[in-house]
Amino acid sequence: MTQKNDSTWRLQCTVNGDPIDADVAQDETLLFFLRDRLGLTGTKGSCLEGECGSCTVIVDDKPINSCLVLCPQMQNRNIETIEGLAHGDKLHVLQEKFLASGAAQCGYCTPGLIMSAKALLEANPNPSEQEFFEGMEGNICRCTGYAAICEAIKSAAREWK
Amino acid sequence: MFHQPRNLDEALAIRANLGADVTPIAGGTDIVVALNRQAKPPRNFLDLTHVADGSTVRRDNGKWFLAGGATFTQLGKLPVKALAQAAMTVGGPAIRNAGTIAGNLGTASPAGDGCVALLAMDAQVELSHATRGKRSLPIHEYFTGFRKTALLADELITAVRFDADWKTAWYKIGKRGSINISIVCCAIGMSPRGEIRIAFGCVAPIVMRTRQAEAIIAEDGLTDAAIEAAAQSAMNEVAPIDDHRSSANYRRAMCGVLTRRLLRDLRQGN
Repeated sequence: MTQKNDSTWRLQCTVNGDPIDADVAQDETLLFFLRDRLGLTGTKGSCLEGECGSCTVIVDDKPINSCLVLCPQMQNRNIETIEGLAHGDKLHVLQEKFLASGAAQCGYCTPGLIMSAKALLEANPNPSEQEFFEGMEGNICRCTGYAAICEAIKSAAREWK
Repeated sequence: MFHQPRNLDEALAIRANLGADVTPIAGGTDIVVALNRQAKPPRNFLDLTHVADGSTVRRDNGKWFLAGGATFTQLGKLPVKALAQAAMTVGGPAIRNAGTIAGNLGTASPAGDGCVALLAMDAQVELSHATRGKRSLPIHEYFTGFRKTALLADELITAVRFDADWKTAWYKIGKRGSINISIVCCAIGMSPRGEIRIAFGCVAPIVMRTRQAEAIIAEDGLTDAAIEAAAQSAMNEVAPIDDHRSSANYRRAMCGVLTRRLLRDLRQGN
């Protein structure tokens, strides 16, 4: 049984491959669990209504808004956050290309953009313009004007393995 | 208490037992938004995201069957133009992966894009109870008022069905294209027998059909004059309001434009 008492849930899932076993409140969102309980502050919160995409993480290979998920719903799910991408000093190709293209200004939207891009390219390494747009349209950047972001993701796609 | 049933029977039993004291939740795209805005949290949740076969989409005997947990991502892939296009415009991929058709019906917002598309195809909504069993309602009887529906507090929305051979057209006007709430959206369906359904979102307290406009087309067919008369009629039948997204006048004018445009599209077989 995973229900502990009236409003606490024993959550078992994985985050970036690590097993998690934690007591969570039934109305706690994944966003704040990741940030405040696990210290994974790469995932950002902004609008808290699914409009901006800055809280995007990947759950069982699909991008989701971590601000709109209640922790108990993540039972037995596999969650990937921006912290899971680099291996030590070796950056993920998306991170490298964001750097090379100057795709970040304030950087607040960057983790969400990279997680959406990763989910898109994992599912479809060679997206058409339409598929690219549909895959990235849930993420908003208020600084860059998007050109450098698109360039970064497209150049990562060319090297996608 | 957080309930996470593994199958539909368990889910229905919990709902029958707790009724209005339990809040069904799937993608959370309405409920958790409200919680994030400091709404009073429900005492009990009924999480439907772990129900086996809860998101099945299949076609049998000429009908589409959508289990309640079918997501907008799934609906976006259907060869049903209005519903697929509506699904692709409810939000970005993360929202489409989370939001479900039962959630769209359950919230019953006048801006429920999926509801508008279903209304244009005479869909049937299946409501289920643990012991009383299933009942199926025509979708136009399902919506009863502003965010009010025929769903009883001890039932769950378990499926939607509609004939697969409707031809449909869709257009949504929103401030940021996709990933935004509609200012006006319109779906028009044409049955294999040539019956026309004209449905709108965001122009009344509930998603609605403009039946007089439908009657004009039923009478005269898709002639230029009938399309023009239907567009005029649609503008008179809707009851939009001014709000922060748009003015009532603009919404009303767009109802005429969209009626004209989508009826012409259907006539041309687009």
